[in-house]
Amino acid sequence: MNAVSSMIDTEGLPAITAAEYAKFCEFFYRKTGIQYQVNKKYYVDRRIAERIQQTKSESFRDYFTMLRFEASGEELQVLINSLTVNETYFFREDYQFDALVTGILPALAKQKRRGDPIRIWSVPCSSGEEPYSIAINILERWDQSDSWNIEIHASDIDSKILAQARAGRFCERSVGRVSPQLLSKYFKPKIAGEYQICDELRSSIEFSLVNVVDPVQTRRYRDIDIVFCRNMLIYFDDAGRRETMEMFYECLAPGGFICLGHSESMSRMSSTFLPRKFKDVIVYQKPGEQE
Amino acid sequence: MALVKGKLPECDGAPRDLSTLLGALASPESAVRRNAVRDLKLYPDSAEALCAQLQDETSPSVRAALFSTLIHLQSPHVAVRLAEFLRSDDVQLRNGAIEALQEMPDAIAPHLQVLLGDADSDVRIFAVNILASLRHDQVPEWLAEVIRTDAHVNVCAAAIDGLAEVGGPEVVKDLEALRLRFAGDAFMDFAITTAIRRIGSE
Repeated sequence: MNAVSSMIDTEGLPAITAAEYAKFCEFFYRKTGIQYQVNKKYYVDRRIAERIQQTKSESFRDYFTMLRFEASGEELQVLINSLTVNETYFFREDYQFDALVTGILPALAKQKRRGDPIRIWSVPCSSGEEPYSIAINILERWDQSDSWNIEIHASDIDSKILAQARAGRFCERSVGRVSPQLLSKYFKPKIAGEYQICDELRSSIEFSLVNVVDPVQTRRYRDIDIVFCRNMLIYFDDAGRRETMEMFYECLAPGGFICLGHSESMSRMSSTFLPRKFKDVIVYQKPGEQE
Repeated sequence: MALVKGKLPECDGAPRDLSTLLGALASPESAVRRNAVRDLKLYPDSAEALCAQLQDETSPSVRAALFSTLIHLQSPHVAVRLAEFLRSDDVQLRNGAIEALQEMPDAIAPHLQVLLGDADSDVRIFAVNILASLRHDQVPEWLAEVIRTDAHVNVCAAAIDGLAEVGGPEVVKDLEALRLRFAGDAFMDFAITTAIRRIGSE
């Protein structure tokens, strides 16, 4: 019996001790900003154990060494892909899209110079439902959309889900809230149970792999007018949330807006943004030039 | 017009050197200072300069970045320097320091006894506020020590609040002793009863 087989759980996967789990969580937090508590041990353990098996590592220690020192970072990316949650659908929390087209964009149009682009960043974009929902809402419901160049950038830390977003193929459940009229306008006829978003939308969104806690990767994002960052920060601790908000502050143009998920409040993360209310929706605005 | 595919500029990923970043702290542009403060996370040697900057910095967003970077670079020295701001008349600076110190339990722990023995009762109250939210397993014992020894009613009241959150059955006798010490004080009586009830119900 070798070292691996002496430490396997009842399902035949390598067992991970509490100390190893704590060590892994600390490392993963530093790399991604995502924090796992003890109550997530079963979820995380299973995924690490599967990767230990699939990489044919001898033990957690071997696998962890590879994870930390692999120059390409390939295994870390695979593990990130397996640990991140990507549950979403079209027009999720659509009251924010109402605020976007009836409040935020008209407010921006007043403060921006004609000819300058309006830049929107959806992060994390998961399998693409959010950036495509933003695009459809703007085209369908903002009467000034033809007068502006609107850029939509969409980013995620998970390379696999990003490829899916780029491909733009969605299942029945994902498009459940899209009306038949919009389905026929923006999607190709259903093939093999999937709806394919039209090429015009697919090619108008810039997708990119971004880890929000990596300052080098986020440095390119400047003069953003609207950030959609929904339901990501719930996985971060206080310090991670605060640092992420400072990164967004840096990325946003003066007067730019940030939209958070319904259970996320800026008050516990940063005092540098100003709350703005559009109908019943609260979003947050970076102050203008004079601070 | 309408949707267009935008290209973001490529950026040089190389970090700037320490002296360039320290120089940028003197920029009249808050965005330049903020950017430098964020990049100084890579340089533990910048901590003293960042603490000094905190004293004079007026921009809220640069201040927020200063606190975050100092939390990142935390050390006992940084904690001592931040603790100096507990005496500040600037409420935002003082609250920022309290919140930052709450994020660095190991760095502030060795200095807490000094703060809890400070002649200024306000500083002792802030120290109790920091102590109560530290993620450190000795917190209940340290708070119990406060209610055993501190003579100031408001300092003890702050410690009771903390104990109501993190205390266990072992602190009940100290809470009862405190009730006797402040016999006749209706608020303390109420606070102690509430704390004991909360401890007992968990």
